[in-house]
Amino acid sequence: MDDTTRLREHRLVFYRDDIARIDLLLKELIQLSGAHAALLVDREGHLVSKVGDLRSVDSDTIAALVAGSFAATREMARVLGEEQFSVVFHQGRRDSIQLTLAGDRTILTVLFDDSTTVGMVRIYTNEAGKKLGDLFTEIESRDDSETPDVGMASDFDENAKSRLDTLFPD
Amino acid sequence: MVQFNLALREINCKVVYFGPGLSGKTTNLEVVHQKAPDESKGTLSSIATESDRTLFFDFMPLNLGTIAGMKVKFQLYTVPGQVYYNSTRKLVLRGADGVVFVADSSPSKMEENLESLRNLEECFREQGRTLADIPHVIQFNKRDLPNAMSIDEMRAALGATGAPCFEACANAGTGVVETFKGLSMLVIQKVKAMSDARSAAPQKAATPAIPEGGDSGFKSTPTATSRPFTIQRNSMPMPDVAPQETARPVASNVPLSVVASRVAAPPRVVAQNVVPPAPATSPRQKVAVEARPDMRGTPRAFTPPVKQRTAPTPASAAPRPMDPRVISSGRKARPFPAAVIWIGAALVGAGAALVVMFALK
Repeated sequence: MDDTTRLREHRLVFYRDDIARIDLLLKELIQLSGAHAALLVDREGHLVSKVGDLRSVDSDTIAALVAGSFAATREMARVLGEEQFSVVFHQGRRDSIQLTLAGDRTILTVLFDDSTTVGMVRIYTNEAGKKLGDLFTEIESRDDSETPDVGMASDFDENAKSRLDTLFPD
Repeated sequence: MVQFNLALREINCKVVYFGPGLSGKTTNLEVVHQKAPDESKGTLSSIATESDRTLFFDFMPLNLGTIAGMKVKFQLYTVPGQVYYNSTRKLVLRGADGVVFVADSSPSKMEENLESLRNLEECFREQGRTLADIPHVIQFNKRDLPNAMSIDEMRAALGATGAPCFEACANAGTGVVETFKGLSMLVIQKVKAMSDARSAAPQKAATPAIPEGGDSGFKSTPTATSRPFTIQRNSMPMPDVAPQETARPVASNVPLSVVASRVAAPPRVVAQNVVPPAPATSPRQKVAVEARPDMRGTPRAFTPPVKQRTAPTPASAAPRPMDPRVISSGRKARPFPAAVIWIGAALVGAGAALVVMFALK
């Protein structure tokens, strides 16, 4: 499998419209459920999108930890003979976090506090997760030849080298 | 796997430090974190045991900044080196875009180095990838050991893949940045090659430009894209919505206050507000929702009824084949088998009585 095929099959190119639609779903989710933030994280720990109040949260770190936690949970399920645990819930004294599988490659992460209830979050997250799954199916099935390419400049790697030298001077 | 986020003009790459236990993977990450400018690095997180051995992974995000119009971010991970943690190592390695193999220069550790390298190749094989296809470098760490193996010996033992090799003494902070830069450039070149390969693929005419957000695939299906996050009444306790609001064409224009007003809308207009049910909605979910009609109102006032406790989790929400045992114990099936059982019992009793009578005679 070449890289282009792998990219397409793993659905890892997100376009502006994709993100706009994802953001819309996430915004509606937090509005309806009373959660204060929602993130969409892919299984490799990359943050796809985020909405809500995340000012005090390092979203990249949360994304990596969420992916790790979910991966560990999935492995536990496999060991137990389950296909997967599609929902993981961490409850704190004030803040809680719920992780729900959306599609087969992304994790819908909802952060909420005691101003709402677990039930509210769960029910709206389930619905949003299904809608995101449908959206990803649509993205996956679209003809990739009709979409714009990544559009990387020809001197991208040279610029990257000088940028690295700036960040880490000898 | 590299993530291209064209909405944010962002590229995310995952780099993993791999190697045997105590070879210096976490120290490498600590040095990179220490030397990176504050504005470019995130928090260094460790999931470690109480004795500071890596249990799951260490992680730090590193923002390289905007390069030729694209924001480039690296996520740096380490794996637990101990043999015992093979399963967690595989999890961390999944989707890696680049690998730094940190080898211990001590002669007594060479067997562990080789075992770890074999493990790395095996992990990628399980993912359907090969180490040769993935940008990777080898770092000969702990060069300050008095009995350190020679570079030639280490290269002969570990450099079979032809990967670039770097000398380092991570404890002293030397060679770490060079290793990271070396790998970063390999990853960047690979990303560029992937992008170029994609660009070289045959494209249809009149493809819209990226900055304008033109994904023709989506624009061709406006009804699908514009449907707001309306939740079907028969699948969820959706707040009631006036028909004209439901039909609002562009969901992104719906202010949040409108959504909030839906929550407080009276229930009498429910029948007019039903959106065609989504095909994915399962019957199980319908049951769960109908059992909690009092959710239609303010969230705080919600008190789940007893039935709600049976609400399925998403895993259980998927339709499953019905269990035949449930059917046999159903009410409709019960009268006929019961009659048969009674008749059978009577016949058996009569037979037994006859047998006893003959026996007594």
